[in-house]
Parts: sequence; structure tokens; C-alpha cells
Amino acid sequence: MMMNQRKLIRKIVVYAVYILLLSSLQVSYPNRLGFGGQTADITFVFVVLTGYFYGFKDGVIVGLIMGLVRDCLAPIAIIGIDGTVHVTAGIGMLVMFLAGAVASSFFTKRMHRNIPFAFVSIAFITLLYKFSGHFLAYSWTFLVPSAGSYDLGVYEIVVRSSLLQTLLNLIAGIPLLVLLRFAGPVGLAEQRNTSDDVIKSNEDTSWLQI
Amino acid sequence: MKRLLTSKWFIVLAVSLLLIAGIILSFLPGSPLKAAVGIASNAVSPAQKGVKTTGNAFSDFWAAIADGIAIREENKTLKEEIADLKYRLNQYEEAAIRYEELKEAFHIRDTFSNYDIYGATILSREADEWFSVIRINAGKNEGISLEQGQSYPVVDVEMNLVGRVIETQGSDSKVLPLLHEGFSVAGKVNEVNGASVIVSGDSVLKRSGLCKVKGIEKGVRLVPGTVIVTSGEGGLFPDGIPIGTIVSVDESNPVEVTATLKPFSNIGELEDVFVMIPFISDDKKEREPGVSESSAQGQGGQG
Repeated sequence: MMMNQRKLIRKIVVYAVYILLLSSLQVSYPNRLGFGGQTADITFVFVVLTGYFYGFKDGVIVGLIMGLVRDCLAPIAIIGIDGTVHVTAGIGMLVMFLAGAVASSFFTKRMHRNIPFAFVSIAFITLLYKFSGHFLAYSWTFLVPSAGSYDLGVYEIVVRSSLLQTLLNLIAGIPLLVLLRFAGPVGLAEQRNTSDDVIKSNEDTSWLQI
Repeated sequence: MKRLLTSKWFIVLAVSLLLIAGIILSFLPGSPLKAAVGIASNAVSPAQKGVKTTGNAFSDFWAAIADGIAIREENKTLKEEIADLKYRLNQYEEAAIRYEELKEAFHIRDTFSNYDIYGATILSREADEWFSVIRINAGKNEGISLEQGQSYPVVDVEMNLVGRVIETQGSDSKVLPLLHEGFSVAGKVNEVNGASVIVSGDSVLKRSGLCKVKGIEKGVRLVPGTVIVTSGEGGLFPDGIPIGTIVSVDESNPVEVTATLKPFSNIGELEDVFVMIPFISDDKKEREPGVSESSAQGQGGQG
């Protein structure tokens, strides 16, 4: 019991530190994380890796909190139906929550949460996010005429936006993966002994103890 | 039923629907989700400021080591420059005194004399390519408060346009940057009776750090290098704030000629900005007793 509590405290502390640190870096130095008009989204990649390696509950809870912090530090402003610009709340939470949820189920059982496939997970979920984002942005401007036009071409969407962002996220995934592996929420020795079934069974209890 | 409620995809669906409802409600003033984000923001901001300060200190320290020799050379050049500048400063002080005398004499209008200028530092920038806003460290506590539909211009240290304040909180404010898809400002060519245009953010041009220029009247010919400044139409921005220069003109559609504009202000590199808050001077109040405080302040939407 004592041991479990210690593990839980480690988990909470490690996640809290990473959430604050990565969110702050993301919004303070986006130019240093960017290339060609895109920015490596280290917060997004962290949520994906958390979901992939540590399961559904870790993924969605870290996603929700990371998204909340994102909404605080870099909120999104969009043109509303009335034609004026509104600062919204919750979009970051929704995106990160879904990223964590999808990552936790992305072939995790079949691939046994192995490291190389984590990069496939990052690439797939980034592409899903980018294409959905472009579709929603286009739909919004289509439904709300006052929101202006969103006339990005196929090359812009596929190459300059989605593929470039995916590449940057994959690069950002390397240091984050090392951090999660060697200074992550679960000790290295424990990671070696933890099978997918254990992660799944822990999901039912661990967070309920908070 | 219990199985359904504990199914993770049911949880995902339920939470997603709740969040979508929260996002829609966040358009309304007094939204609970926005209030929650505001509270969280107060808790998170100090940590983010700490990380930024530490990052800057580390960056400065590294730069000091890496640039040691260059700094010594630069120091030598700067000393010579200081001597030259001191000489020029004396001359300008003389000129400033004469300017004040002439200003009084000829009633030269100082464009920005009806504005209080508040300095602020950029706390956070756009996190990705979609619609993010900038946060600055000046808010209601510093006297920057917005009524519904109001907005204040934000400029850089050279008085070039950066964006406008769209929301204020206790110790920070949100700024809609010039490149944002929702930004729009009335501009004009920087010459006597210069042609009017509309400068707005564009999702494609934003990636290259450019804005779109539209509303170009028939017969007006813009050429690359033309300087565009705010026209003052709309009441939000005073006239004469430099926006940028025309980079290219697209005349493929003769009915709607558009152009691209490179802003003077490099928002990605900015650290400090200034918020311009209009006020009515006592003199003006005495001259025009009908003028209310709110009429001097800009309205939302296009400036």
C-alpha cells in the first residue's frame, strides 16, 4: 500500500513538472522549436507518448491538464457568428484529451507499446490532428461567412502544414521519449517488468486513489 | 448499463461532448469554462514566467560565453558610437526645445498625444499555426481594462503596429496579432490623401509572416515598397501608425486587386510592446463638454 502511494506520488509530481515545463517552453520559445512556419508541438507529443506508454487514464488526464494549461497560456481566438473575434476556452483541452485517448489505443496491445512504434503513433495522431484541424477551420469559414476565407491549397495543407509538422513532432519525440524512459512517471526497473495487461489493470484503480 | 458507463470510448464521447459544449459557451461572457481557465491561468502564469526568466538567463549566460571576443570588439565600436551619439544628443536637445516652441506657435498636432502608453513584455506566443493569441504582462491591475466591444492598439518600440488587445485579466492581457486570421485594420498609403486599403491576416500568408491587403479602390496602383499606415477610420487605431510595406500586387482579378504586405514589426522576435489607451485631455473636455469618455475609446472590430 505504502509502495503504491509512493509510486502514485512520483507519477503526479513527474507529470506536474513536465506539464508546467513543456507548456512554458512551448509558448515562450516557439521560434526555437520551429521551422518553415511550423512549430514542433512538444506538449502534444508528450501527451501522445504518455497515452501510448502508460495507458488510457494517464493519457486522458495528462491530456486534459496539458490542454487546460495550453488554453491558459496560448488561447485560441476565432471569429464568431457576430463577426467579432472571441478568445475561446476548451479547444486545447479537447485536442489534448482526444490525442491522449487515441494514443492509448493505437495498436498498443498488438505492438506491446514498443519504442519504434511510438513514432508511428506520433506521426499518425499528428496527421489526424492536422487534417481534422484544417477540415474544421475550413468548415467554420464555410458556415460562418464573416469568418473570412480559408483558402489553403492541397500542397499547403499536405506538405507545408501536415507533413512538416509531423516531421518536427517526430524529432521532438526523441528527447521526450528519452525523458519519459529514464526520468518518467514510472521507474526504469518497473517499466521492464510491466506488461500491457498490468497497465490496463492499473488503470482501474490507480487514479481513483488521488 | 454499467458496462457502457465504464467503457472508455463512452467516457471519451461524453467528455468530448462536454468540452464542445464548454467551447461553445466560452463565446458568451461569464462562461464557467472561461472562468476556470482564468483561475488556472493565475496559478500557471508564475511558473511560466519562472521558466521564461530561467531560459532567458541561461540563454544570456551562454551568449556571454560564446560571444566573448565579439563582445569586446563590439564594446570598442560602441564606445566610439556613444561619443558620436553624445554629440548628436546635444544637437537634438537643442532641436527639441525649438520644436516645442514651434509646436506651440503653429499648433502642430501630435498624433498620439491623446494616448496613454503602457509598456508590457510578451509572456507567451502562438503555440501552433492555428489562431493563437499573444499574452502580455499588463492587465487590469496595471489599469488596462476593456469594456465589451472595446479594444486597444498595441505597438512595438518603434511605434509599428503589432496588434490589438482583445481581452484583459488581472495581470495579463491577450493581444490579437497583426498576422492573425481575424485581424483587420483600415490603412492608407503613407502620403497626402493616400488611397485607403484594408489590411488583414490571412491563413496562407501568415506562414511567411505576411498580411493581405484588400479593398484597393479602382484606379489605385500600389507598387512593391509602398508604405502603408493606419488611416484612423473606425476609431480604434489613431492614424499614422506604420503597418508595413507592400511586397507584391496581384492584379490577376481586375475586379478585386489584392496585395501582400510585410509588417514592419517582427512579432516573432519582439520582447516588449506598448499598449495605447486613449484618454480625453482636460482641455478638450472643457472645449467640448458633450464628448464622453467612451466616445474617445475605440470600438471593437475593424480599426
